Amino acid sequence: MHDILIIADNLSYKINENRLFSGISFSLKKGECLHIKGSNGSGKSTLLRIILGITSPTKGEIKTYVKKNITYLGHKNALKSYLSVEDNITLMGLSNHKDLKEYLEKLSLKELLDIKVANLSYGQQKKLALLRIFLGNTNLIVLDEPFVGLDIENQNILSNFLNKQLQKERGIIFTSHINCDVDSKTLKID
Amino acid sequence: MFQVERAYKFILYSSLIIYIVSLIWGLLFTQEDFVQGNSYRIIYLHVPASFLSQSLYISMAVASFVYIVWRVKLAAYLVISIAPIGALTTFIALTSGSIWGIPTWGTWWQWDARITSTLILFIMYLGLISLHSSFSNYEKADKLLSWLAIVGAINIPIIKKSVDWWSTLHQSASITLTDKPSIDPSMLYPLIGSMIGFFGIIISLVIISSKYQIFLREKNKSWIKEYV
Amino acid sequence: MKYLRLEVLKLRKKTRSWLGPILVFWLIMLAYPLTIEVSPKNLEIGFFSVLWIAILLSMMFATEDIFTEDYNDGYLEQSLISETSFSYLVGLRVLIHWLLIGIPISLLGFVFSLGTTENLSLSLLILPFAMMSSYIFLNLFVLGNSLSLNKGSVLGAIITLPMALPVLIVLGKSITAIQLEINYSGFIFLLLGSLSIIIVTIPIVVSFIIKAHLE
Repeated sequence: MHDILIIADNLSYKINENRLFSGISFSLKKGECLHIKGSNGSGKSTLLRIILGITSPTKGEIKTYVKKNITYLGHKNALKSYLSVEDNITLMGLSNHKDLKEYLEKLSLKELLDIKVANLSYGQQKKLALLRIFLGNTNLIVLDEPFVGLDIENQNILSNFLNKQLQKERGIIFTSHINCDVDSKTLKID
Repeated sequence: MFQVERAYKFILYSSLIIYIVSLIWGLLFTQEDFVQGNSYRIIYLHVPASFLSQSLYISMAVASFVYIVWRVKLAAYLVISIAPIGALTTFIALTSGSIWGIPTWGTWWQWDARITSTLILFIMYLGLISLHSSFSNYEKADKLLSWLAIVGAINIPIIKKSVDWWSTLHQSASITLTDKPSIDPSMLYPLIGSMIGFFGIIISLVIISSKYQIFLREKNKSWIKEYV
Repeated sequence: MKYLRLEVLKLRKKTRSWLGPILVFWLIMLAYPLTIEVSPKNLEIGFFSVLWIAILLSMMFATEDIFTEDYNDGYLEQSLISETSFSYLVGLRVLIHWLLIGIPISLLGFVFSLGTTENLSLSLLILPFAMMSSYIFLNLFVLGNSLSLNKGSVLGAIITLPMALPVLIVLGKSITAIQLEINYSGFIFLLLGSLSIIIVTIPIVVSFIIKAHLE
């Protein structure tokens, strides 16, 4: 039982009595990755929020054994558009991280430190937001469409990173409609 | 459901009859007040309305508490069903009070303790209704509404006390459970009758309103489809 | 401490959100003498009422979008899943707003009071009353705005204003007591007592409310 990060049993969710999904069960062990697939509006993001404990399911039960040890990136990137890249990194609490320089270089964000986030492109903002994930050190990583907005090169950086985390016995849950090479099992919701 | 339907019709009609009888009794068959003349007769509307405006709020707060703690969905429906009726009752209490104030005090509005706190109660009801209607996700709206109702319930006595402290002009309550009533028995009986009648009318209004809420929110459930 | 620094980092770049309320306060206090015939006696009569209402209004502006931005850009969700307790973060944010807006306004209130009444000991007494009431108002408006999060601040203000009335009444009474040289310490303790209850309870309630919003 020690290896288990999350057990979900028969989850369902309704908004105003309209069913979004129902009967979802899965479990996630350390070193496993779960790829959630489903059409638009099928409730993928909601499922992620249920996993994070932000939303509670209408029915069913979810148990997480990683309380508060999660990094998450949703489609809202939690960046402050009126602050510079550097200030945003400080705000994320990553300014003293030992790998910061390496990743700034890898993601070619290094020259942008003084620029306001409002003036960055969508892809650049996405990369900045992903720093949370790259530099986080948590047992569970939850990502909502992480590959959207990234070019092939950066998609590869991300999927390589995720594969490496799996070897470090971390758990990953993500949604994506872009195909990627992350060793994962698939969960379809409709 | 059919029993409820019958019960509520029974309550509505019987309380309407009680209220009308007491009104006729109070308006036509009691003496004029020594000081206030005929104008006092508005108490058959004013007193029950003022009394219920607060009781309704309290019951709403209790239902909110039940919803927050035990997640009983019906309690949430009850909260939002009571709110507009509470607002209506408070409005009746305010306007009837104003009408009564013109001959008695010579003014239709006084910034005294009870009027002011009733006005605030009215604003709170409106705040609750507008808060609930500003959300399209019902469950979210229910939760926020319940929180506000509970916070308001803590605040109402505070507001009342402080406004009371600030100034007082209003005559003290005429009927209390412990003291001997300071009102002539010939006026008292129709007053009690009108309170019971008014109470019944409000109860049946709450039932109608809750029924509407349940239909609105559970419209996809099969038993509703059968019922309709 | 770390969060305090981070909050200040954000507010430093958002001058409008803390300078705005202070300016509103200043404008009301400056506009007041213009509306009545200037003679020291006349000015003094309504001065304190205007002062309290100005504090109330500027606190209303101060909290107008205290959570809106963080709600819209996803920052609140990140705070929610972080290790730090969410109600603690809410309380901290209110504290920072008080330090940045409430304190300067109280000091300005002191200056205006000194200028109007030319009574130093009275004006010095205004200071603790202004500081405590601004903190209470901030908390109350935060409550209202958290309820109406993302739905405009008018709704929040409507919800909160009735709750602020008792404080206004206490403030009015205390000024009368001070001016009549009756014992006013009871009022200070009353405000202090309600403030200490509010400081603890409101952040907890607000954190529940925000969680309901994010659901």
